[in-house]
Amino acid sequence: MKNCLIILYCVMSLSAFTQTTDRGHLSGSFDSYTQFYQKDEKINAILPQDKVGSNNFLKLDYTYKGFSAGVQFESYLPSIAGYPFNINESKLINRYFKYTAKKISVQVGDFYEQFGSGLIYRSWENRQIGINNALEGINVQVTPVSFLHVKIISGKQRKIFDRANSVVRGADATIDFSKLSKKENPKARIEAGFSYVSRYQQYTGPDVDFPATVRAAAARLSISGANASFGLEYVQKGKDPSINNNQDLGNGRALLVNGSVAAGKFGLNLTLRSISNMDFRGERDAIATSVPVNFIPALTRPHDYLTTNIYVYNAQAQGEIGGQADIYYTIGKNVKKPSRIGINFSHYRSLQTKNNIFSIGDNAYFRDLSIEWKKKWDNKLSSVLAYHNLFYNKSVVEGGIYDNITANIVVLNTTYKYAAKKSFRFELQHLFTQDDNGNWAAAVTEFNFAPSFSFYVSDLYNYDVTNTHYPNIGGSFTKNGSRFSVAYGRQRAGLFCVGGICRFVPAATAITATLTITFNSK
Amino acid sequence: MRKLCIILLCLFYYTFGFAQTDLPQVKIKTLNGAEVGFAQLSANKDTALIVSFWATWCIPCITELETINDQLQERQLQTPFKLIAVSVDDTRSSARVPSFVKGRGWNFPIYLDTNSDLKRALNINDIPHILIIKNGKIIYQHTGYVPGNEEELFEVISKQ
Repeated sequence: MKNCLIILYCVMSLSAFTQTTDRGHLSGSFDSYTQFYQKDEKINAILPQDKVGSNNFLKLDYTYKGFSAGVQFESYLPSIAGYPFNINESKLINRYFKYTAKKISVQVGDFYEQFGSGLIYRSWENRQIGINNALEGINVQVTPVSFLHVKIISGKQRKIFDRANSVVRGADATIDFSKLSKKENPKARIEAGFSYVSRYQQYTGPDVDFPATVRAAAARLSISGANASFGLEYVQKGKDPSINNNQDLGNGRALLVNGSVAAGKFGLNLTLRSISNMDFRGERDAIATSVPVNFIPALTRPHDYLTTNIYVYNAQAQGEIGGQADIYYTIGKNVKKPSRIGINFSHYRSLQTKNNIFSIGDNAYFRDLSIEWKKKWDNKLSSVLAYHNLFYNKSVVEGGIYDNITANIVVLNTTYKYAAKKSFRFELQHLFTQDDNGNWAAAVTEFNFAPSFSFYVSDLYNYDVTNTHYPNIGGSFTKNGSRFSVAYGRQRAGLFCVGGICRFVPAATAITATLTITFNSK
Repeated sequence: MRKLCIILLCLFYYTFGFAQTDLPQVKIKTLNGAEVGFAQLSANKDTALIVSFWATWCIPCITELETINDQLQERQLQTPFKLIAVSVDDTRSSARVPSFVKGRGWNFPIYLDTNSDLKRALNINDIPHILIIKNGKIIYQHTGYVPGNEEELFEVISKQ
């Protein structure tokens, strides 16, 4: 009995000991992107007056059981050239407190949220592009019964270092029908969702019927089994005259359909989307990347080679109809030397009739057919061969009056691992076109010494019309969750991947230094 | 007394072995849309869990996952561990993830972090980013991938 008591006492004190030593999880990051600009008339580079741009982000998050809290401090000294805003300020801009229990979570402060695919509502952060429309307010999520999940949000959108002068409110409910069945693991999962979002911005003009509050509603359905899935989402937005739709008084509509099948080592995905008058913002006179309420991405294949990044589609929120298909296939039984094929086809056109999302127009906006063959030859050598054929309506995508562009691109990307931790990568690319600036050629050579060092030299060369080289040289040092890199050269805007990291970079001639640190307590 | 010590020692490990994880309680989704709590997913006991953050548009991420995937069975025979991959594709490209994964013949669990909630909670700046979690704690992390990085990863795993 005495022993039992001793043991019980020891267990209790041990439990208390583990409780007190369990200090929660601290996570933090520092992300710095600094450029020292050089005058370069050849590419019309934006040259800030003091020739320096520096974006810095410090973020800390602490989690202890169901509680979490965090802050984000941002410092623009000043913001880098080509950023959507030009400020020279620092501020503690995001802070939140969150409590999560089994059936409820409450977050106050700044939060990011998404309803469905984001066609009706999404708040997110993209530091490279300069979007942060976090909502400052309250986000409550409840799961009263296992098959129902409800989100309720209300707050003001972040607008650079300020707030949009409007209130965004929303509610979203998801019903999981598979949780209603008695079966432990039903083969098919059926889910329906409904969303409502409103934006109120005070109107002081003379029009008595002017909609100060814009309302939008959405419904979605998804059915997914082991090897196939189908998804459908429809959004309707009320009257929202703004600078973006030339004060149009019609409703906005969007329809998104997605289907995918998979069998063995074969996968097929098909997405169709039609949108009309769906530009939805926190402020009526906001443009470009400022205070978006919803998210309308270009549904095309994202590219990350120098030449495939020259003609990139941008979704037309005022009206477009189209879709894309993806096929992925692994050939051959030899698991050690697989051949992997990826095919993507995307095509977008105008709407024939304004506000009719089922009418296909005569004006083509974008078309892209890409075929990629990835082959592992042995443990040392692997290669990627890619071909693209694209059509690009520059007048629509970039605005202005230009001729349309048809181009073909070939990319060869080879990696040779000559020792356990040493490798070099070599890229050769060519873009063939008789339009716009004519042909482009590109080459990249990269030397990697895992796990820490990587060096590269690259050149993108437009030899037809502008006769311009975009040379770059750089290197990086990586240790655990931290990475430091330095590069010097000319850069076109676009995704740029070197040393295993992809970033969006604006056009400039500069020395670029990046430092990213990720810290997670052990 | 010796018995008591052994019992106490066992209880000590038992209590520690089941210490609650404090990793972020963020929900991510399976490929068919079911929500899973990351803290519960990673509250593994003594088997190391590799968590790889990737996206369909990130070439180095795919190279890293395929390198690990090609050696998976071989390495797991030496030291047991689990591997999961969390896609941070947003809705621009998240719909293609299931067919992408199937068509590449990957045979490890894939999860979706469509609005980067988990990536943000763990303060991951860039991808690829890999974590090793054991007993609910992050014991190793690495950002970026170049061929040969997997050697360091497996060195850490084999010491577990």
